[in-house]
Amino acid sequence: MSLERWHRVQQFLFHEARLLDERRLQEWLALYAEDAEYWVPYAWEQNSPKDHVSLFYETVSLLRMRVDRLERELSPLDSPMARVNHYLSNVMVEEGESEELAARAYLLFIEHRREEQRWFAGRVSWRLRPQGASFLIGAKRVDLLNADQDAGHLRFAVPF
Amino acid sequence: MREAYGELVGRGRVHRRFYTDPAVFEEERKRIFRRVWLWLGHESQLKRPGDFFTTRLAGERIVVARHTDGAIHAFHNRCSHRGAEVCAAAAGNARSFVCPYHAWTYRTDGALASVPLEQGYGAEFRSRMAGLRLEPVARVAAYRGFLFGSHAAEGDDLETYLGPEVRAAFDNLVERAPDGEIELAGGKTVQRYRGNWKLQLENSIDLLHPRILHRSAIDAADRVDHGGEPPSIEWDIVKSNGLTLREWDGMQIAAMSRGHCWMAGFLTRAIDENALQARYQKIMVERHGEKRASEILAFNRHNTIVYPNLFVNSRLAQIRVLQPVSVDCTEQHGYLFRLKGAPDEMFEASVRMVNTNNSPSSIVTSDDHEIFERIQQSLAGGRHEWVDLSRGIHEEDAGSAAAPVGTNELPMRNQHRAWAQYMG
Repeated sequence: MSLERWHRVQQFLFHEARLLDERRLQEWLALYAEDAEYWVPYAWEQNSPKDHVSLFYETVSLLRMRVDRLERELSPLDSPMARVNHYLSNVMVEEGESEELAARAYLLFIEHRREEQRWFAGRVSWRLRPQGASFLIGAKRVDLLNADQDAGHLRFAVPF
Repeated sequence: MREAYGELVGRGRVHRRFYTDPAVFEEERKRIFRRVWLWLGHESQLKRPGDFFTTRLAGERIVVARHTDGAIHAFHNRCSHRGAEVCAAAAGNARSFVCPYHAWTYRTDGALASVPLEQGYGAEFRSRMAGLRLEPVARVAAYRGFLFGSHAAEGDDLETYLGPEVRAAFDNLVERAPDGEIELAGGKTVQRYRGNWKLQLENSIDLLHPRILHRSAIDAADRVDHGGEPPSIEWDIVKSNGLTLREWDGMQIAAMSRGHCWMAGFLTRAIDENALQARYQKIMVERHGEKRASEILAFNRHNTIVYPNLFVNSRLAQIRVLQPVSVDCTEQHGYLFRLKGAPDEMFEASVRMVNTNNSPSSIVTSDDHEIFERIQQSLAGGRHEWVDLSRGIHEEDAGSAAAPVGTNELPMRNQHRAWAQYMG
């Protein structure tokens, strides 16, 4: 893979993180293909979202419902809206047989809400479909280090 | 000196200490949670000899295991030597439980099998070694495969404790499986909030709040364009909260002895009118005949709430249990069941519904928990002494013969009357 292409993928991932951090959620949704899958497992090394519960396992339609809700009217949970930072590192990109690229990164996610600041760590993988000079997200998976443990305290309306 | 706490429950109101006083919480452990039957798990978690799972019972760490003779035992997860946990796994299969500290080794019925360098003990120890074991839970019993434990050696038997109305919820959950058998599957959800356990207990039978508190989620669900396709089950569970206040007020509710209660089902009709449900209903009719199948499927309850900490949803094959951690911290653990003989896709749909409704990412229950935390904070710090639970009490006073409906807070008062009986 060319350095330039690797750089473009990385910039794309940083762009996604920034849209989430700046709560530009419609723009964030637009990065996803209509048939995309967004998955945050509820078990470490979870094999399938079908036979085990997940923290998130959503179609774009469900993500849209989430975003729509946040943009129309804040519920008690989201008022005031939390401030968040997504830190991505260790970005690696692989080209496969198909046109799609597989990207992975480590995630540190810090959230400040009301009087509390908390953080989560995890590993993220994306399947990216080239589209012009940019990409569409075909799938995103976030494996939190504490997915199977302390998740009870997470409580978030906005994805990672 | 045993303090009487019954006066914290007044007529149509409860005192804020009911939710906030750590001394009250300690006494609840002793006088309620250590006296009643509490849900442990399901027999399907223990299929083979040696299968075990760990859980908590009234705050104590417990191992539940199937012994080589097939009998199910529940005992404290605490070595009788120095008190270390003997089993760190959530579930698995074991021939024995070996304490990681000094290797005291126990059989799957909890009996002590061996200690290292046994000769280091005198004759007195060796003579009583045969009687040493991981401390058993005082009583263990099952109703239709649902396992319960009690720290009290005496008291009502399990069936009496549950009563006919609660047993009907378990019966129906099992009967909804075409093969008449269910299996706990799909992992569990954990939601934790910094509030008292009774806030969730009240909320589960509070029919006035959904349309109001969950409005933003309901409205978002309303705006979803399904593009002509049948709506997904995840959408439905959000959307269903959007009955009008008048519709909520017409919903059937029931309050039973020992603080138990139930509420009628409220899911939209869409959930019963898709191709998958039609396939399932056909299987049920083949197994049971038209009449019996429709009897089973007509059992339309949402939660049956088993005092003090269990929510049974027969229709959705789900169970939730409250694990109070401290006076102001509570965990809600959610489990689901696979109905044997039903199409696999039904279980997949249940999994998706739980993701949306009972996981930490839920846009419904997260708002409930947010409210509980705000209540807890304001009650802990304020001068406000009493919380009002008097809605519908005038009908109760008048001895109305009609069954209570909808937004009447009678089931909450019924819960708190049971509380006062235990705590008074």
